[in-house]
Amino acid sequence: MTRAENPRHIGARVLRFEDVRLLSGAARYLDDITRPNMLHMSMVRAQVAHATILGIDSSALADAGFPTQVFTADDLGSLSIKAHQDYPQMQYSEQPILASGKMRFVGEPVAAVLADDPYKAEDASELVFVDYDPLPVVGTMDQARDASLPTLFDGWKSNVIVEREMKGGDLDKARAEAAHIIRRTYSTQRQAGVPMEGRGVVAEYNPADRVLTVWSSTQFPHIVRTCLSEVLNWPESRLRVIAPDVGGGFGVKGQVYPEEILVPWLAVKTGRPVKWVEDRREHLMASIHARDHRHVLEAYVSAEGRLLGLKADVTVDNGAYSTYPFTSAGEPGMVGKVLPGPYDFQAYHAVYRAVATNKCSIGTYRGVARPSAVFSQERLMDDIAEELGLDPIEFRLKNIIREFPYKNVLGFSYDKGSYAESLEKMRELLAADRTEAEASKVSTTRRVGVGIACFIEQTAHGTPDFIRRRVPIETGYIAARVEMEPDGQAIVDLGMQNHGQGLETTMAQVAADALGIDPKDVFVRHGDTLMTPYSVGTWGSRGAALGGGAVHTAATQLADKLRAIAAHLLQAKAEDIVLGGGKASLKADAGRFVEIRKLARIALRNADQMPEGMTPGLEASFSQDGPADGTYSNAVHAAVVEIDVPTGKMKLRRFVVVEDCGVVLNPMIADGQVRGGVVQGIGSAMLEHFVYDAECQPLTTSFADYLMPQAPEIPNIEVHHIVTPTSLTPLGAKGMGEGGAIGPAAAIANAVADALDVQVTSTPLNGNAVWRLSAALRGE
Amino acid sequence: MRPASFEYHKAVDIEDAVRLLAEFGEEGRPIAGGQSLVPMMNLRLARPGHLVDINALPMTDIEFDDRTMRIGALVRHEEYGRDPRIGKHFPALLDAVHWIGHPTIRRHGSIGGSLSHADPTAELPAAAILYDASMVVRSLGGERRIAAVDFFESAYVTTLEPGELLVAVEFPIPPRSSAGSFMEIGERVGDFAIASVGAHLEFEQATITRAALVCCGADLVAIRAPEIEAFLVGKTLDAPQAVEVGRRFAAMVDPSGDHIASADYKRALIGELTRRAVEAACARAIESK
Repeated sequence: MTRAENPRHIGARVLRFEDVRLLSGAARYLDDITRPNMLHMSMVRAQVAHATILGIDSSALADAGFPTQVFTADDLGSLSIKAHQDYPQMQYSEQPILASGKMRFVGEPVAAVLADDPYKAEDASELVFVDYDPLPVVGTMDQARDASLPTLFDGWKSNVIVEREMKGGDLDKARAEAAHIIRRTYSTQRQAGVPMEGRGVVAEYNPADRVLTVWSSTQFPHIVRTCLSEVLNWPESRLRVIAPDVGGGFGVKGQVYPEEILVPWLAVKTGRPVKWVEDRREHLMASIHARDHRHVLEAYVSAEGRLLGLKADVTVDNGAYSTYPFTSAGEPGMVGKVLPGPYDFQAYHAVYRAVATNKCSIGTYRGVARPSAVFSQERLMDDIAEELGLDPIEFRLKNIIREFPYKNVLGFSYDKGSYAESLEKMRELLAADRTEAEASKVSTTRRVGVGIACFIEQTAHGTPDFIRRRVPIETGYIAARVEMEPDGQAIVDLGMQNHGQGLETTMAQVAADALGIDPKDVFVRHGDTLMTPYSVGTWGSRGAALGGGAVHTAATQLADKLRAIAAHLLQAKAEDIVLGGGKASLKADAGRFVEIRKLARIALRNADQMPEGMTPGLEASFSQDGPADGTYSNAVHAAVVEIDVPTGKMKLRRFVVVEDCGVVLNPMIADGQVRGGVVQGIGSAMLEHFVYDAECQPLTTSFADYLMPQAPEIPNIEVHHIVTPTSLTPLGAKGMGEGGAIGPAAAIANAVADALDVQVTSTPLNGNAVWRLSAALRGE
Repeated sequence: MRPASFEYHKAVDIEDAVRLLAEFGEEGRPIAGGQSLVPMMNLRLARPGHLVDINALPMTDIEFDDRTMRIGALVRHEEYGRDPRIGKHFPALLDAVHWIGHPTIRRHGSIGGSLSHADPTAELPAAAILYDASMVVRSLGGERRIAAVDFFESAYVTTLEPGELLVAVEFPIPPRSSAGSFMEIGERVGDFAIASVGAHLEFEQATITRAALVCCGADLVAIRAPEIEAFLVGKTLDAPQAVEVGRRFAAMVDPSGDHIASADYKRALIGELTRRAVEAACARAIESK
């Protein structure tokens, strides 16, 4: 594959074009959409975690004083979302659009109420009463394996949804040869995803052309369309899904939810447009959750400090349902897949399972299982180093992979990275902090600690990876169509949706380099299935690598045609023409050129001036699939913390990232992505915890109780780049959207362990947790 | 997250406001900055049938005489928080103001609103109790004063009767030889505290002659510690036995745990914050001499 020939714009710090709209209030989000004669939906949600529904009484609506309509599962028939992976070890379940027969978590949609005003709809939803018979609650990972409790679904043998294994090498041999066996149990807490804008859906049916239009605050309009088509049995050609401006997704908007099926169904059923906008309480308790993991790890290490093998037992508390399209197997499977990490060892065996509980379902959230996996992996590396009396960075360098491509213990192929170099660079950056931390060890009241997390991230994985997993998403490609207009300006119709990634800018940079025009003359359109080519959407750190690849390849095809026309006009060979600065000029003589806008006009309007036999038109499309094993980004994160021992109050003094995502399309945007991810990782490490009580009643359903990181908690985040281009994507770019969120929990936990000389086995490391961990220093 | 239906009324003066509040009884709620009431209405935890907007009322002055500072109920945190006289006479109150929420909240929120809302871990009720403030309350029946310690009944519950409006809060001005401090621990800047402690000390030469201590986080209202205050009397500013004072306050309280902080953690914080608040007050006292 070829890299950009003369990058002028790729790699430049171009200001984000979309920011003009976003920062001036001109953006249009889902809630800004209004249709004539529109109805508003409010959900009646389960108030108990596990119960049999005996009846739904909406008779009080007659006294509401305004017209309402109410719908329940009885009206919907058997409509449900099926998110099943074809594994013999996986028990089958469906997620009903409205709870049918049973309620399985607090917040589950039970009935939909429609009124002509959102306030009235919310008032009316309080008048619908659900009569139920409570069932014993399955509330924890351990309860999920308790045979005396009921299964969440009829016909299930247990509440273990799926249990599988992954292995490579000879673990018995590794254990036999080990001088040290280190066994630890690590866990990370349940979180919500929390984009700034919640979810929302508007739908409108036009009987004239039989097109059902659905606006949804989603990351993947085409996948929503396909799921809708399958569930509603509606032709995809007459379904149009539009993701308007989307105020953050972070993976939360990378699943299809019951409301996305229900609202269009209601629009058809009532013959009127229908709108639903999630509120924050609904978002926190009933969108998706993440990170609820427990990992039991056993490492086998030689006397010389070489890692020989790793055994892992991974449990994810999945909550009630398998979510579409990544399923319940996705989260634990990811842990099994990524635990080997950046280290060279030859024996591995992971058993992983997802268990069903009466909680909100687990879905994809920035990093997808990797923040938890890296927490365990990197805590373990520190714990081993401690046990062996080795410096944690030295111990990592002793085991880090240095030869590429590297075939890991599971057979995954890692392309070239800068693993050792990143560690060494971080060691330099931290020298003074480590000295200070060491010096603080004499104090029993104020301690400084330094912790690192070293990890790799499989990004931009292609179709084979999804086929291996037999997951409903099925594929991982991104498509782009590039066309030039008669005035020489270009349009990129992108299969990805832009919700904070800066794609309207970076993709314009990529197209501009290939076409020889200015990025501001490229209009990047996205988020509407009517005008964009089918793609899997924006998730899995594939925007720069695959979206950029698709735009580059399509634009290059267009550029070839421009060069051919220019060669014809200039009486030269096409390979002697270069495009740039709005001109097609001779390589050898820049004074001889044709303006690109003239070439565009010829191709589209003055076809008589084209080379003989060439067809008119300036349009090219390309679908860029990912490499079979993806391309691996790598990073080292470091945290420097200061702990006030008497109160447990921890100050994050410094956070440093050394990362390598190959070729960077726009350093300003890349740094922003890293920093945003790190802030979310800090939330995982220290604050964010979605808590249920013993009856699975949620306790953290507003921002008063669910604590997000805020500006005062965040230090300046230093970002350093090392660039190791990959040969696996057209631009040499690797994925980088999620990495920021993956390392902080591990780095901060390692810093706490360093500061207090204790073992840290779980997050969040809030004030209470740090206070408890520092008990020994207070002489307790 | 939309409030239940309510009617809005804009009161033109105090008489108008108390008349409206008397008319609506339990169904009526005054609204000023709305920083606490509006979120609770959106969550439908509060469902007043009538909101009486009091923002036009003449309750916006900070007045001093020889013995009393009187702050009108509508004075915003941002405004009294930058009045230099408060820092001079009521340093613990000034500290407390800086712990209230974020700048936007301090701009809109009013002193009367925060006191009437009576959040159990809010700073102002604690400061009012620390300084023995009085709530000036108006109704159709006239005016009465309620001592801060009698005003806060439970979490979000005050002894204000339906139809009564808090119009001002009066703080008795301490003697010149006094100092104070207020500090708290929360998960994040701007959060309601897990625990907070205020200390007010009066002294002659280098000896403490009177002390007041208050803490939040231990009960449904902020609490004083009379016996521990008495223990401080007679101690010197350079050796107030702050560790022992903290130990005693921690031993006295009986907090309950929640999903953010356990009972033993809250107790430990109250002990440590007491030590720090007493030491900081003593340091300020020594500095002022």
